[in-house]
Amino acid sequence: MKLFGQTISSLERGLNYSATKGKVIAQNIANVDTPNYKAKRVKFKEFLVDAQMNELRAYKTEHKHMDFPERNVQPGVFDYSNFRYRHDGNGVDMDKEQANLAENQIYYNALVDRLNGKFNTLQNVIKGGR
Amino acid sequence: MGIFHSLNTTASALTAQRLRMDVISSNLANVDTTRGRMVNGEWQPYRRKTVTLQPKGTQFSSMLQMAIGKTRSGDVGNGVQISRISEDTETPFKSVYDPSHPDANAQGYVQMPNVDPLREMVNLMSATRSYEANVTVFNANKSMLMKALEIGK
Repeated sequence: MKLFGQTISSLERGLNYSATKGKVIAQNIANVDTPNYKAKRVKFKEFLVDAQMNELRAYKTEHKHMDFPERNVQPGVFDYSNFRYRHDGNGVDMDKEQANLAENQIYYNALVDRLNGKFNTLQNVIKGGR
Repeated sequence: MGIFHSLNTTASALTAQRLRMDVISSNLANVDTTRGRMVNGEWQPYRRKTVTLQPKGTQFSSMLQMAIGKTRSGDVGNGVQISRISEDTETPFKSVYDPSHPDANAQGYVQMPNVDPLREMVNLMSATRSYEANVTVFNANKSMLMKALEIGK
């Protein structure tokens, strides 16, 4: 029987997602005055689903067919195309970034609290409830 | 990417915005400078300076590193930097009639710098707000890192 189960690794993925999102938000807000900068987003799904499962595969009916090129982008981070252009071509929505920032912080804290709760439960079991 | 990556990103933005403010200050300080530069034995007024920002890591060298596979591509980014400080040659100098001025020409007009205080003030406000926004991000990331230290306590 597994001692730690799936919960801790799920929480770990959530923390990874949240940390990456923090970096992306920092990058977007840092470039709020950069002309032609495209805002970046993080996809939640790709952090939860195993990257292998989600990979796009070419369907080959002929051995000469080529595979799709390996995606060489960092998983989950992509340029956000659906936005309003400002006159200098910048696509950072400051209000949205600030809202995301606050949300991400709360989310991160919640995950850390949950992780600590999990560890405390284990501690309790190890000590035999004493 | 280290754990302090996001803090470095924000720090680069704070540096860039502060430099922007410095350039704006320089423009406003020189709003009446008629002797900015000597050209062919004639004084030219001060030219307004502007800054250009660009995301860090988009220069040729880092693109090359990425292309030959030295660094991981698709990195979130390294923040922002000032790519250049250029002089505004498009806005014309202002001509002011003042025959008593030492730099007045034969018709009595003096060439004044192409600095518009109103425009500089607007840019200054923009730089200040961007700076504040980045400070907010810095604090948020800092508290997230502090929270991460509590894991397992």
